[in-house]
Amino acid sequence: MIGDLDYYKGLVEKCSHCALCEAVCPVYLEDMLETHVARARVDIIYQTLYKKSMPVTPRVREIIDRCLLCTSCTQDCGGAVPVHEIIITARAALYGGRKHDPLRDYFIREMMEKRGIKGFPALMLAAAQKLHVAPGGFPKVSLRTFDSLYHGRYPPTGKKRAKVAYFTGCATNTMDVETGVAVMKVLGHNGIEVVIPDKLMCCGIRALGEGDIKTAQKIVRNNIAILAEQEVDAIIVDCTSCGMMLRSETAKLLPADDPLLAKAVALSPKVFEVSDYLNTIGLAVEPGPLAESFTYHVPCHRGWTPTLNDAPLQLLAGIPGLKYSAMEEPEKCCGAGGAFFMDYSGLSRGIRKRKLDDITGTGAAVLISQCPGCRSYLSAGLGKRWKTVHPVTLLRRAYGL
Amino acid sequence: MKTEGSRIESLRKDLSRLLGGGKVRTEPEDLLAYSSDATRYYAQGKPEAVVLVESVDDVCKVLSYANQCAVPVTPRGAGSGLSGGSTPIKGGIVLDMKRMNKILEISKGNMTARTESGVVLANFHRAVEKERLFYPPDPQSMDVCTLGGNVACRAGGPRGVKYGTTPNYVLGLEAVLPDGSVINTGGISVKQANGYNITQILTGSEGTLAVITKVNLRLLPLPPERQTMIVVCDSAQLAAEMVSRIIYEGVVPAVLEYLEVGAIWLMNTYSPIPVAQDGQVYLLIEVDGTAAIVAEDIGVIKGIAEKMGAREIKIIDDKKQAAGIWKARRNLSPLVLRIFQKSISEDVTVPRDKIPEMVKAVREIGASLGVPVGMSGHAGDGNIHPGVQLYEITPEMEQKAEEAIRLMIEKGIELGGTISGEHGIGLHKSAYLEKELGKDQIELMKRIKYAFDPKGIMNPGKIWTEA
Repeated sequence: MIGDLDYYKGLVEKCSHCALCEAVCPVYLEDMLETHVARARVDIIYQTLYKKSMPVTPRVREIIDRCLLCTSCTQDCGGAVPVHEIIITARAALYGGRKHDPLRDYFIREMMEKRGIKGFPALMLAAAQKLHVAPGGFPKVSLRTFDSLYHGRYPPTGKKRAKVAYFTGCATNTMDVETGVAVMKVLGHNGIEVVIPDKLMCCGIRALGEGDIKTAQKIVRNNIAILAEQEVDAIIVDCTSCGMMLRSETAKLLPADDPLLAKAVALSPKVFEVSDYLNTIGLAVEPGPLAESFTYHVPCHRGWTPTLNDAPLQLLAGIPGLKYSAMEEPEKCCGAGGAFFMDYSGLSRGIRKRKLDDITGTGAAVLISQCPGCRSYLSAGLGKRWKTVHPVTLLRRAYGL
Repeated sequence: MKTEGSRIESLRKDLSRLLGGGKVRTEPEDLLAYSSDATRYYAQGKPEAVVLVESVDDVCKVLSYANQCAVPVTPRGAGSGLSGGSTPIKGGIVLDMKRMNKILEISKGNMTARTESGVVLANFHRAVEKERLFYPPDPQSMDVCTLGGNVACRAGGPRGVKYGTTPNYVLGLEAVLPDGSVINTGGISVKQANGYNITQILTGSEGTLAVITKVNLRLLPLPPERQTMIVVCDSAQLAAEMVSRIIYEGVVPAVLEYLEVGAIWLMNTYSPIPVAQDGQVYLLIEVDGTAAIVAEDIGVIKGIAEKMGAREIKIIDDKKQAAGIWKARRNLSPLVLRIFQKSISEDVTVPRDKIPEMVKAVREIGASLGVPVGMSGHAGDGNIHPGVQLYEITPEMEQKAEEAIRLMIEKGIELGGTISGEHGIGLHKSAYLEKELGKDQIELMKRIKYAFDPKGIMNPGKIWTEA
């Protein structure tokens, strides 16, 4: 279970020290200091929290905190060392969910747990900004949230092919309503009935990243109980981090004797990112033409399903006139890391700089990505000339919906 | 005698004054991160300072300071080595070269390149291949290892069978001597007869003579086509004989890997390997060249494999799948730890017609001592990496493992082979070098070392054991 130091002891010892993580860690590639790569981080966690041969110094905390939890090293590791889970477990041991000042922690927890209450997130953020506990650079939160527009059951147009539950993430709900609308319209247009269940919370990834295991557990228990009740063919997300949480991390957060564990395990294979889902079942209606060129940033939280990477490209290949221009390294991190960029702005900007160069080098005009965090952070760096959207938004436009 | 703490503090002060504070690290966590290479189980050493050099000038300053104060200096690339070569067993300064990562020139006209020594090999591959040029050396750590480290350790990889290893491509070097002076060896001409070949003395010197700061490399035209295939064999002996046969028939694949079924099973957990796992040994082959040559070579190998009774022959047409297989192959060494507690991979290399005999001997050594042995390596050049894997680390098993390794190394030498084909000697194999080369040659090496490094500050304790 994530958060349980004993559980990870054997896995920490599986690090062969091969150093291959140096190839993929965005923080290391920016800092160019081996202390900031998974091999060293895991070793330092081993020495301080397991062997206790070294004290927990501020430098140790810095090494454990200065990680985006992008999971690139976990995905790549030959030894199958779950580095991000080890880092989260270390954060849980060091902070126990009390990493920031209590007021900021309170706001973060409230935002995650009560996002189902209409207008609440916007009010909370406004209050947090007034009290100066919201970090700088936080994107604008809309009062007209997605769940004020859509809730309940939406039958499809045309013949019904499938029924899905749409797990709307916090970003879509409060900051990127446009993506949520595109998901609804495109699914409905393709014969897919959509249910938006009530009382869902945040997916919990934010709490998990902070090492706040208790809050994360509370959240996933709430969500699993609700989602398990839905009689649907699939659980759809538009955000790859929500998807990772639901598909691969939720079950790791529940103790072995938790009655919800079996439900979490059963739900896991039903979770799909929306473009992956559409690509898997195929489009019912052929899209019209779009005379544009786009490039594709693959979000880091992609390791939870093997078909996710190529899905948007295969899906959009059916749009006549739409041209794909590949980046040199589409899978390189953008530097956002959820809220990481607010605490480590210089580091994140450095990571983003490489990405922006790669994006602008493609000569495209539209950037697609399935992660709202990446989109928001990259869009801020790219400026107004670029459109940065979820793949289904392009599909919506091709359908003229 | 100064205490450790005050030594570290005075090093930090002095080096920071020389280079600026941002390039010097002395906190215990940073020192831990630089305490070994990929063979930490074998030895660890704690440096007293890590210096992140960014220019030749930085290197000169550090070396002349260290030389004056007699502080050991251990140069380091990615720290991915498999010999303990960059493990700072005598403390002192670790010189991290990875920030010197500029490719200075790729010349299509001369088919050469000039780079700083901290350039990561895979980045260099991508850069030259964009120009339709080819740099063949491909150690399995290519995604992280540096050109400087490759030159210092005479690194090689699967493509050694057709293209040789790093030393075959080094034309010249810029290096800083321990007294801080800079030399430019060899040159950028593809043939040279200019006195002692200092370039090739530094190539393979494992950081014991000087610090390599720039490398001049020879390049080849990029082969337009490549094709991966897998041949499944029912016995180790058959596979070993097939390797010898393929070479004997005059076909030289770009890669000819010998992988036991356990290795294939592990690789399949990382990336799908599209063959049944019912064989004993799998030959993973890549041929390259023009389309006609590729087709012809595949045909010849297929013919040999069929005639000798291969269980299955699989041509991998899907390029993405092939890339996945090769990536899994590069990850084999960490993959082994999914099953075992400890894995020690040796680097014994034998003449290629002796592969069947070596394979037989390694299996017998494992059986007689009761330790799991495995061989997965570059059979095409005789470098089959016999190794020992332990399910459990106990003093008894460790002792048996050591004994098995000694016997494998002795067998390799007896067959006319070498104790290291591509990893270098470092710490691991230093006890065996005299057995291979004889006392007189080791003494000569020591005299060469003295000529470069009279104070003995450069990577002390490596290549040979101290009396």
